[in-house]
Amino acid sequence: MSMGQLVPTTSARAAAARPRPAPSRAARRRQLRGRTVAPYLFIAPFLLVFVAFLFVPLAYAFRLSLYADRLVGGEVFVGLDNFRRAASDPAFWSGVRRMALFGLFQIPIMLGLSLIFAILLDAGVVHLRRLFRLVVFLPYAVPAVVAALMWGFLYGGTFGPFAQLADKLHVTAPQFLSSNWMLASIANIVTWEYVGYNMIIMVAALQAVPRELHEAAAIDGASEWQIARRIKIPLIAPALVLTSVFSIIGTLQLFNEPQIMTAIAPEVVGSSYTPNLYAYSLAFPFRQINYSAAISFVLGAVVFAGSYLFIFLTRRRRR
Amino acid sequence: MTLLTTGMRSGRNARRGGARTAPTLVLLAFLAYPLLPLFWLLVAATKSNEDLLSTFGLWFAGDNHLLTNIRDVFTYGDGVYLRWLTNTAYYSITSAVGAALIATLGGYAFAKYRFRGREVLFGVILGSIMVPATALVIPTYLLLSKATLTDTPLAVILPSLLSPFGLYLMRVYAEQSVPDELIDAARVDGAGEFQIFRRVAFRILTPGFVTVLLFQFVATWNNYFLPLVVLSTPEHYPVTVGLASWNSQAAAGGGAHVLFSVVVTGALIAIAPIVVAFVLLQRYWQGGLTVGSFR
Amino acid sequence: MPTTTSPRARPRRRLGAIALALMVALQVAATAGCSEKSEAPSGPVTLTLWSWVPDLHEQVNMFQAAHPNIKVNLVNAGQGSAEYTKLRTALTAGSGAPDVAQVEFQLIPSFRVTGDLVDISKYGANNIKGDYVEWAWAQVSDGDAVYAVPWDSGPMGLLYREDILRKHNIAVPTTWDEFATAARKLHAADPKVYLTNFPPNEGGVLTGLAWQAGSRPFHLKDKTTITVGLNDPGALKMAQFWDGLLKEGVVSHEPDFTDAWYQGLNNGRYAAWVTAAWGPVFLSGSAKSTAGKWRATPLPQWSAGENVSANWGGSTLAVTKQTKHPAEAAELAMWLMHDPQTAKLYTTKQFLFPVLKNLLTNPEFVDQKFEFYGGQQVNQIFGAAASQVDVTFQWSPFQDFVYSTMNDEVGKAVSGQQSLAEALHAVQRKTTDYAQQQGFTITG
Repeated sequence: MSMGQLVPTTSARAAAARPRPAPSRAARRRQLRGRTVAPYLFIAPFLLVFVAFLFVPLAYAFRLSLYADRLVGGEVFVGLDNFRRAASDPAFWSGVRRMALFGLFQIPIMLGLSLIFAILLDAGVVHLRRLFRLVVFLPYAVPAVVAALMWGFLYGGTFGPFAQLADKLHVTAPQFLSSNWMLASIANIVTWEYVGYNMIIMVAALQAVPRELHEAAAIDGASEWQIARRIKIPLIAPALVLTSVFSIIGTLQLFNEPQIMTAIAPEVVGSSYTPNLYAYSLAFPFRQINYSAAISFVLGAVVFAGSYLFIFLTRRRRR
Repeated sequence: MTLLTTGMRSGRNARRGGARTAPTLVLLAFLAYPLLPLFWLLVAATKSNEDLLSTFGLWFAGDNHLLTNIRDVFTYGDGVYLRWLTNTAYYSITSAVGAALIATLGGYAFAKYRFRGREVLFGVILGSIMVPATALVIPTYLLLSKATLTDTPLAVILPSLLSPFGLYLMRVYAEQSVPDELIDAARVDGAGEFQIFRRVAFRILTPGFVTVLLFQFVATWNNYFLPLVVLSTPEHYPVTVGLASWNSQAAAGGGAHVLFSVVVTGALIAIAPIVVAFVLLQRYWQGGLTVGSFR
Repeated sequence: MPTTTSPRARPRRRLGAIALALMVALQVAATAGCSEKSEAPSGPVTLTLWSWVPDLHEQVNMFQAAHPNIKVNLVNAGQGSAEYTKLRTALTAGSGAPDVAQVEFQLIPSFRVTGDLVDISKYGANNIKGDYVEWAWAQVSDGDAVYAVPWDSGPMGLLYREDILRKHNIAVPTTWDEFATAARKLHAADPKVYLTNFPPNEGGVLTGLAWQAGSRPFHLKDKTTITVGLNDPGALKMAQFWDGLLKEGVVSHEPDFTDAWYQGLNNGRYAAWVTAAWGPVFLSGSAKSTAGKWRATPLPQWSAGENVSANWGGSTLAVTKQTKHPAEAAELAMWLMHDPQTAKLYTTKQFLFPVLKNLLTNPEFVDQKFEFYGGQQVNQIFGAAASQVDVTFQWSPFQDFVYSTMNDEVGKAVSGQQSLAEALHAVQRKTTDYAQQQGFTITG
């Protein structure tokens, strides 16, 4: 593949061809030892941070989940009670179902849009390409707090711009912040934030598709659309799987956007609207840190299951 | 992208000149979607607080209050906003550089060396992406407080050094762009492993390094939950937590005097640096994200 | 596109140096002028005070002037639940909590139950007991033990748009029946206007209204036994009343303190606001375009001729158990709340509604005329309400949970999924379960 070769191979060959003195036995032994030790040393900083800020907190969270800290009675060992409770907790599972529904619609729409944009970019318009890539990617740079703030204002029922526009046109705008529409409204915010990010990944993958394949198909008389469907999309399947898996993980763990929405529409986005929001509510206002830890573990298990299921399903189809 | 590709593309386009207009129009229409809320933000920042609550959202009001609003943002609360901006810049740059460095080091090692347990370890690290953040924040807080690091910059920076996705990106990038022959040649020359990394590999890995740096920069800049929990003094807040606290004050009132106009203008100023950074560093992230998209 | 050959490396090295310099500069900037929290006191005692009341510096400086051996580090750690979250995590972690913290009345039992508040009766708190309105002192004390000092309060009343009611020939309601009639008449006359807004996210208002209707949801028999009656007759009476109005659609149900809600106040969508004593000044700051059109009146009563009110909001200062100088911290809390000049300043500078009897009867305060209310002496109305608040009302030791659950259930009620009464039953059920999970014994 042409993508990876960013170093002119001429200098490498030249370097290899240059005559040089043979290193001494001691020097070679030192070099060999250096080579075996090196990977561990290189990984060490990463591993240190990984252990300190992922592994240890996770282990601590697991310990927490085996206990209960009661207002009356203090800390008590409860074994797997918290997990048993989580397994049948309607607040948790309704949140999971809600996120599954959310993902079922939002992910294909967002990735579909990203794919369309990516293909359009790849197929044609030279002048605006840079601008378009930048503009569509910009929302990713906006903090979720600010994104939710902006959309919250835009969604306003009586005085928001959409409602006012609809009023002028004598149509009824949907009540974006009502319980019927809230999921879609949040889906819109998430799509807005990430469509550019996913588009860039796909554009990059498309660029790696060898030009010869397009050329051959074009010469054979295939239209752009056919080229896209038969050649490009199948060849960037790994990128599609990657973005899908990340989207699934992100959806099941949705927190930032609903959390801001609780400030704007608290009566719709309740304390267990998403599983992660439930874990947060349990830890903070409800002061049940231990149960919150158990819920987080169960959520993690759901995320694993969802991601691997998806990878498994797509792997079979690709083969 | 090599010169070869660019040349072929423009050649192909020359043949299909007429077909360009339809896609262009479609793309132009789609430009409105990302820009709409940002446009609203810009318009809103020019309004006074009263105008914000009474005029049409998507167009300007009578007079332009932008400069007054900006002045209010930087003077409210004894000028704490500027402190928030510098905090955010400090946290983001430090953790971005740190995260990119250790991800590059680690990714290079995974890519170019064989060692026992390599794939298992890599799988575990990747799997950690699936761990919900809420599970980690409180234990992280408790651990940081044992080390008496809470309410300090390190409380935000240290956890932000971890970028499993960055590690993955750098591994794939290193696998594809650093030729084994080059490393072997350097070894034959007698160079030590770290020298090879520093002098040879790192130069090649720079676009990937900058990509990871930029993404971790954005991630830390936008991080809300972690600083919310580990920081308690407003002087240490990053701008996300600060804005949110102003927003809830503006909403709750009851003696507080933060106005919505200050929150809105503060939000606009907060996203300006990242937008600028993205525009300036376009070349890197548009090129660097190419890896990781195929295996 | 160019490849990564050496000509690029040179500018990169320069960039590296610049970046390093920038980082150092930023670090200096970010840590410059950092609070001296970490300095060990040598001689004078340094106390940390967490409060979100604005402009508190002036009163804190007055304290420091009167106590040269005590330095106070004032920190705004967030408003309400934002501060409580930090406070709780710091108290759990064993370090990082302030010496004195602002705690609203309804949260006092929840900090008491975990033993986080110092009993300041041993530092002379009971000496100032008589200067405070009874119900406020009852909520910070337990027999002779005192856990906080009252700061401000929110006796409830009604603010209404005099011009809107006059335009539609509607008399100012004095009972809830009259209120319902007025709501129907107003909304029929102008469908764009509602007599008032019923906020689904405001546990404080819901509780206050129930309180006025006779509800006493909680009673802590002892440290581990509690009665839970969130759906007692008083609460249900109140719920059924509002259920009727909501079903008829004559009151709106938008969350309060949001952008849309402010716009509603400014644009005449709401003709009245069920609020507390801090409401008048708040409204005058947030609805400037309606100046001169509002008036104040007592809360509508359940029976004509009654004079019952309730309380919504109000804070105290409490000493946390992490303090290393409990005597000085107690002195800080009591002085800031009780010193005559300082206490008076809260009413004129931050417009907090007082809990001290002498201020509540002070003519300067009571007879103050408010332009925004057409010159009305608004404090008379709310001052009278202050003495109409029942002393026996108690909060639960897990009030955050209760408020959050109320938000969830009342939210479902206003979107039509259940009635308000059913919402109260659901809150009751969930709270009882929660209390039992937390180890409490529930009694009848």
